[in-house]
Amino acid sequence: MADVVLAGEGLGKRFGGLVAVRDVDVDFERGEICGLIGPNGAGKSTLFRLIAGIQRPTTGQVRLNGRVLTGRPAHDVCVAGIAATHQIVRPFRELSVIENVMIGAFFGHRPRPHGPRAAREAALEALAVCELAERAESPASALNLAGQKRLEIARALATRPEVLLLDEVLAGLNPTETDQTLHLVRTIRDRGTTIVMVEHNLRAVRGVCSRIVVLVEGRKIVEGDPERVLADERVIAAYLGTAAHA
Amino acid sequence: MSYGLALIYGVLKIINLANAGFLMLGAYVTWWLFTSFHIHPLLAPLAIVPAFFLIGWALERTLVRRVLGAEPIISLLLLFGVWLVLQNLAYVIWTGDTRSIETPFVEATVNWGGLQLAVPRLYVFVMGALVLLVLQLFLTRTYLGRAIRATAQDRDAARLVGIDVDRVMGIAFGIGIALAGFGGSLLSLLFSFTPDFGRALSLKSFCIVVLGGLDSIVGVAFGSIALALAEAFGVRYMPASLQNLISFVVLVVVLIALPKGIAGTLKALRRG
Amino acid sequence: MLLAALIALPFVAVDQEYAVEMLFLIFLYGAMATAWNLLGGLAGQISFGHAAFLGIGAYATTVLLAKGTPLAVAVVVSALLAGAYSLLIGVPAFRLRGPYFSIATIGIGEATRLIALNWDSLTGGASGLTLASAPPLRTQYFAALLLLVAAVGIAAWIKASRFGYALAAVRQDTDAAETLGVATTFAKTQALFISACILGVAGSVYAEHYLFISPDSVFGFSTSIAFVIMPIIGGLGTVAGPLIGAVVYTFIREQFAATLGNADLLAFGVLLIAIVVFEPKGILGIVDRIRRAGAPRAPAAPRPAENADG
Repeated sequence: MADVVLAGEGLGKRFGGLVAVRDVDVDFERGEICGLIGPNGAGKSTLFRLIAGIQRPTTGQVRLNGRVLTGRPAHDVCVAGIAATHQIVRPFRELSVIENVMIGAFFGHRPRPHGPRAAREAALEALAVCELAERAESPASALNLAGQKRLEIARALATRPEVLLLDEVLAGLNPTETDQTLHLVRTIRDRGTTIVMVEHNLRAVRGVCSRIVVLVEGRKIVEGDPERVLADERVIAAYLGTAAHA
Repeated sequence: MSYGLALIYGVLKIINLANAGFLMLGAYVTWWLFTSFHIHPLLAPLAIVPAFFLIGWALERTLVRRVLGAEPIISLLLLFGVWLVLQNLAYVIWTGDTRSIETPFVEATVNWGGLQLAVPRLYVFVMGALVLLVLQLFLTRTYLGRAIRATAQDRDAARLVGIDVDRVMGIAFGIGIALAGFGGSLLSLLFSFTPDFGRALSLKSFCIVVLGGLDSIVGVAFGSIALALAEAFGVRYMPASLQNLISFVVLVVVLIALPKGIAGTLKALRRG
Repeated sequence: MLLAALIALPFVAVDQEYAVEMLFLIFLYGAMATAWNLLGGLAGQISFGHAAFLGIGAYATTVLLAKGTPLAVAVVVSALLAGAYSLLIGVPAFRLRGPYFSIATIGIGEATRLIALNWDSLTGGASGLTLASAPPLRTQYFAALLLLVAAVGIAAWIKASRFGYALAAVRQDTDAAETLGVATTFAKTQALFISACILGVAGSVYAEHYLFISPDSVFGFSTSIAFVIMPIIGGLGTVAGPLIGAVVYTFIREQFAATLGNADLLAFGVLLIAIVVFEPKGILGIVDRIRRAGAPRAPAAPRPAENADG
């Protein structure tokens, strides 16, 4: 029996007349790197936000280790153990890199560090994993995009999540940066965090994910082993039909 | 007949604190034009609107533009500074004495179906409604109007679709300030005023915006009417000095009960 | 050092009552500006209605003293009442963000003033209230100094603590802070509460000094404005900023008080615009720039123009 750490049951989300996500059941197993893909407008980001607690589902439940988290405010979701990065990076611009990460360390999943010094150490650790330790004292605004994305990840990592949700973390990165980020993702998983990635970069997803879930028009149409899923006719049709890149 | 006043407040749709300053300035300039040059207050807007538009536009180009990139706090503080300057400049120039405009027009009343209606109020109501209407049409039907709305929503996206954002911002600001001046001019017909004038009104405007939701002029009109009704009731039951509290109490109640404002909540309900 | 000098001063400068008075004012304003800065500078929520808390403190103290309450009790009650009021208005107010919050605070300040104006039985309405006698200036001086030290101490402690980081996150990006586990509304509420309590105590000091309070003096908008201006002049969000601002503010006020009635506020308006446009970090920001320009060897913050390999 799979060890399900995070589960979405019957999740649905309507915006007025538009149904973005329709009756999606999805289970994420502990320790996996799971990819969430689909053509543009498939509802991936919405589903992501429902699971991350940023938006409240119209129907359905989100459970972490069996505990219902649906509808709880974002900060409670983080403290419970789900961390999310944003598609458009949102660093705390006027704070330094390490201060950014310290905030994650201070306020995440318990047990929390006592006092600034402990938080700083925890932050340095997260920065080291993300290879940002040398830039610790720089202002966050001074990093380039790849750096800011890594900062975003470090910050989320510092909250000691059980599940880390990454929203299009590879967007805008060149091939070298992409490989570095994928390496980082694997490292984080090896340290014990389950990872869910929403992605458009199918080549990357094939390389790093142990499982893929495909969303089309708000519904889950197939999930499973990356090779099998990406070769599935329905998936190919969905992507080619809407002229997305692969 | 406070509907008319409320509509004026609505026209101003204040987010910009400095608007209060220009509102007040509009009133004063009207008075000044009247007493110094004997220009009839009804004509004053002909001078005020273009002048204020230019001032607003210039303000945007010189000052506001510089702080666009920084934290929103900064632009708030900038406009607050502008308002401070305006208000105290008015104190210095015109002193804190209460001023009012007195012409036969202001005193006139008209008989309509048995009711004595004050002509200025009628006038203000009509003008207010007209301006709202024109503004609504402008924002929805003209290219410039839509460009302004687009820029307000997302500056970068607007640039991407080819809108000259710099020009638009200047114009939008100019319009906002011109409207404030015009509003002040109209209000000078109804009330006596001191340099503090803008402040109480800006609060009401703000209440209207919260009540009616930010997005639409219809919402603003709706909010104006709601507030006017609340005040009309208040006049009957409360001592005069507490009347300014009414808008505030309404605001607090609405905020606690309906965080999205009335229009926002209605929208959400309609969506199901 | 400085603190010792300030403590010694009233004993040494026996004839310089003016200087003691000036310093008293600086201490008092400094404490009030520091209190405001907790919410306005650290948390980034600009309130234009903080005079409400000063007023509550002042009136509470005056009313209680008139009834024979010991001063210490009156001060504590004043602080708590101000704090309680802040919790009350915090609930609706914090539903708003950014400029909307700030505009609402104008209304809150104004409404509080109106309430005080109309609640004659308690507050004496427009004619205000008076206190019988004041403690000697020297005592007041030390009281104000004590308040200032306490306020600055609290501010410095908060800034270095976990709570301070939460506030900084709230100021930078409230939504992002939420996703990192910061309970932002609670943090804002705490900051507001603490600043209100400090202002409540300041109200006591104020009442004891001026011996006459009225809705316009303590609840007035120009008082609220002062709280905003001082930290901005000195450096929003810093510990020393409000103090520097208090010094500047007191001097400008003194200079202009004699001339055209509102010229001082006019000057502040101009100053505010200049600061916001040229150096939003205030005087401390200017000092920082000078320091960095004069020390090319020191590790300067990398400019965003360099596409540093992140």
